[in-house]
Amino acid sequence: MLNRRHLLAGATGAAALSFPLFAFGQAQTTDKRLLVVILRGGMDGLSAMPPIGDGAYASLRGRLAIARAGADAALPLDGTFGLHKNLAKMHALYRAGELLPIHACATAYRERSHFDAQNVLETGAAAPFERGEGWLNKALGALPQSRPEMGMALSAQAPLILRGPAAVATWSPSALPDVQSDTIERLMALYEARDPALAQALDSAISANAIAMDAGAGDMRARPRAITPIAQTAARFLKSDNGPIAAVLDMGGWDTHANQGLEQGPLARALTALDDGLDAFKTEMGPAWANTVVIIATEFGRTAAPNGANGTDHGTGAAAFLAGGAVRGGRVLADWPGLTRASLHEGRDLRPTTDLRAVFKGVLGDHLSVSNAALERDAFPDSGSVRAAQGLLRA
Amino acid sequence: MPDIDLAALAAQRFGFGPRPGELRVIAGDPLGWVKGQIGRQATLPAPIAALPPAEDDLLAFGRWLVRRRLNNGNGARIEERAERQGITQEELQRLSVEEDFVENFRARVTRAVAARVEAALISPTPVHERLVHFWSNHFTVSAAKPGAVALPPSFEKEAIRPHVGGRFADMLLASTKHPGMIVYLDNWLSVGPNSRVGQNPNRGRRLPGGGRPSGINENLAREVLELQTLGVNGGYTQADVQALAAIITGWTYERPRLRDLVNDNLATRTGGQLFEFDADAHEPGPKTLLNRTYAQTGVAQGEAALGDLARHASTARFIATKLCRHYIADDPPPAAVARVERAFRDSDGDLRETMEALVDSPEAWETPRAKFKRPEEYAISVLRAANVRDLPPGAGIAALAAMGQRPYSAPGPDGWADTADAWLTADLVFKRIEFAQAYAQRIARADVDPVQVGRACLGGLMSDETETAIRRAESPVQGFALLFSAPEMQRR
Repeated sequence: MLNRRHLLAGATGAAALSFPLFAFGQAQTTDKRLLVVILRGGMDGLSAMPPIGDGAYASLRGRLAIARAGADAALPLDGTFGLHKNLAKMHALYRAGELLPIHACATAYRERSHFDAQNVLETGAAAPFERGEGWLNKALGALPQSRPEMGMALSAQAPLILRGPAAVATWSPSALPDVQSDTIERLMALYEARDPALAQALDSAISANAIAMDAGAGDMRARPRAITPIAQTAARFLKSDNGPIAAVLDMGGWDTHANQGLEQGPLARALTALDDGLDAFKTEMGPAWANTVVIIATEFGRTAAPNGANGTDHGTGAAAFLAGGAVRGGRVLADWPGLTRASLHEGRDLRPTTDLRAVFKGVLGDHLSVSNAALERDAFPDSGSVRAAQGLLRA
Repeated sequence: MPDIDLAALAAQRFGFGPRPGELRVIAGDPLGWVKGQIGRQATLPAPIAALPPAEDDLLAFGRWLVRRRLNNGNGARIEERAERQGITQEELQRLSVEEDFVENFRARVTRAVAARVEAALISPTPVHERLVHFWSNHFTVSAAKPGAVALPPSFEKEAIRPHVGGRFADMLLASTKHPGMIVYLDNWLSVGPNSRVGQNPNRGRRLPGGGRPSGINENLAREVLELQTLGVNGGYTQADVQALAAIITGWTYERPRLRDLVNDNLATRTGGQLFEFDADAHEPGPKTLLNRTYAQTGVAQGEAALGDLARHASTARFIATKLCRHYIADDPPPAAVARVERAFRDSDGDLRETMEALVDSPEAWETPRAKFKRPEEYAISVLRAANVRDLPPGAGIAALAAMGQRPYSAPGPDGWADTADAWLTADLVFKRIEFAQAYAQRIARADVDPVQVGRACLGGLMSDETETAIRRAESPVQGFALLFSAPEMQRR
């Protein structure tokens, strides 16, 4: 029986790989691309990007301290920091000047609820549930609308960061059965006759499915939570004619309360998946990588010391990464507060010294050319005291 | 409009769509069929009656917290406490639960979702069930917040169901006093700075992760004003949020103690009454909310304030707008809103009279059928049309989650969006088509004609184009897939 995959594979000429409904070619176009990866659950920055040169690190971290030497040693960044050995591909990016690791960063949120912290990360507000719209949606809405949908979520529904007035596309792998191509065609004809809004949505879905299937999304049924095929699919969307200029994907599995492990274990596996996913994204982007920024951020860091279960609990200061050919990397961005007891936030967490909103504003302004006015008024209202970070990107 | 078409409109717009054969019954008196179900104190649907009460959910959550700490080697304090209370190691070990949070609560939530969907599937009073869904979304308690994961079903059963045909003030009070809402919006963490606990934090009960609550938490008070009563433009200020938050400090619930967990029983101690007013955490003194001073002491202060919020003019306008948006159109007709608002005000928030005013509005019957069903409503109407009576365990959740509306898991306290822009998106529309295909495969038989099934649930509301498309289908499966995906099944 023919199914959607066959239909779409059959239609996959170069022409089918575009979003066909609108002729938006008239509007100003940009070759800049942005991918935001949200690490949900609170990534342990002190493991992902260990401050091995900080004299307090090894004793404070105890059994969870990453070694400075040996087979499982951290991959060196500068005199203070290293990367977890499972981030080897990201380390290569660092050496190529295309990775900018950031440490001791946080949103404006200082409590320890995932729910509230992700809300703040995605709205850019000063407190949870102050706003119902995401900063990326508002920023994209302030740009010349050169695409039918400027943003795209690699999920069935747009996450909060992409919610708002600007139209965004959505696509996610499905656990539901395939629909026959013939049924889709008949339905399309029915929608066109009776319901233009449904016709438009279905048309957009067919285009997205074509791009996704071409990127190998058919394999995702077997492992729908794997990040690599989703990251590749994101790249296909970002590269396609009339596709989005910004995309968002989620990655879970970072809430490591117990037995998080060191060189092995759930955290190490999550880091490998992130490393592989970013590498696959870069490869799939091809030459477009040169004009790309990837923001990798999490809602908060974890406690500086391990808990009694060889894990870490919800903390404050976190690590984040900027990657991409457009990034001025090969250096670390951190105003390092240190790990002595006295320097910890509330005696337990890495003290945040860099406001993530400054990083986001810097990328949106310098990379996507979002105006200062739009950043202050639309994307990050009430953040006037947080100045956009300068010099994050290559001149 | 012929009676059979009015019947289809009544069933689709106010219920969950008809089951086969139902249209003919409704056609005798569509308006009466709708109104007869409003305010009827129906006995609980069997699947709902079988659900455990909130105390059971609280015990399960408490057991999991204790178990996790024991298993993680963080249980020293628990073991000390057990010893003090004469609880043996053996009894502690009996608190066995799955270690994994998701595993532990999946079965419980799966069962509750199946009950909710089945209640709507088999209900002889679908109008009543729709009202339950509406109000349960108005007062959202969501499992998206891990601490509240077990509570939305019992909240809906205990705080919402009894009041959908009663008084709004009673529902507001029941909601604000239910552990589900108190946990979801953090009021159990709210302590008046001048209360006895505020002055001496060591008096407060420890939080599960250690530490003790301190200070006022405004979450519940803010959402009561913004999302549940006056509405965001309802004319209150931040000072009013703070005043209401102070007024309801000490509104908490009976948290299970170790002994309750071991005995697996909370009700013997509480008599089934889980709301607790903690006078030690209550901010003393009179407070001024919306220019009115509340000098009552204790819980009476909050009861009086909530009573006044329930009958506030802004509340009448806000509720009327939401009801008309839900039942009639994304941009609700102003005349209908005005009529419903007046009924709410004149009846002191009687929800039966309020809803009757809506149903009696000509706009409720004359507005074009453009309202895009939310995924849960859509799925239930498809299953009713397909004469499905029960679901394989878990099937409902997976399909609804794929379509974007995992039951009891709204993304925030404002609940699920009620306008098409949130739902009529490419991926979600495609997931609906996949759902339609899945159920078409399940029910299609050579001797059942999809056109007949379409007529049985849509009457003459089925368009010529849809009927022709189904008639020309290459197989019954394709015919049903087209019917279930047709615009007439997605909009009402």
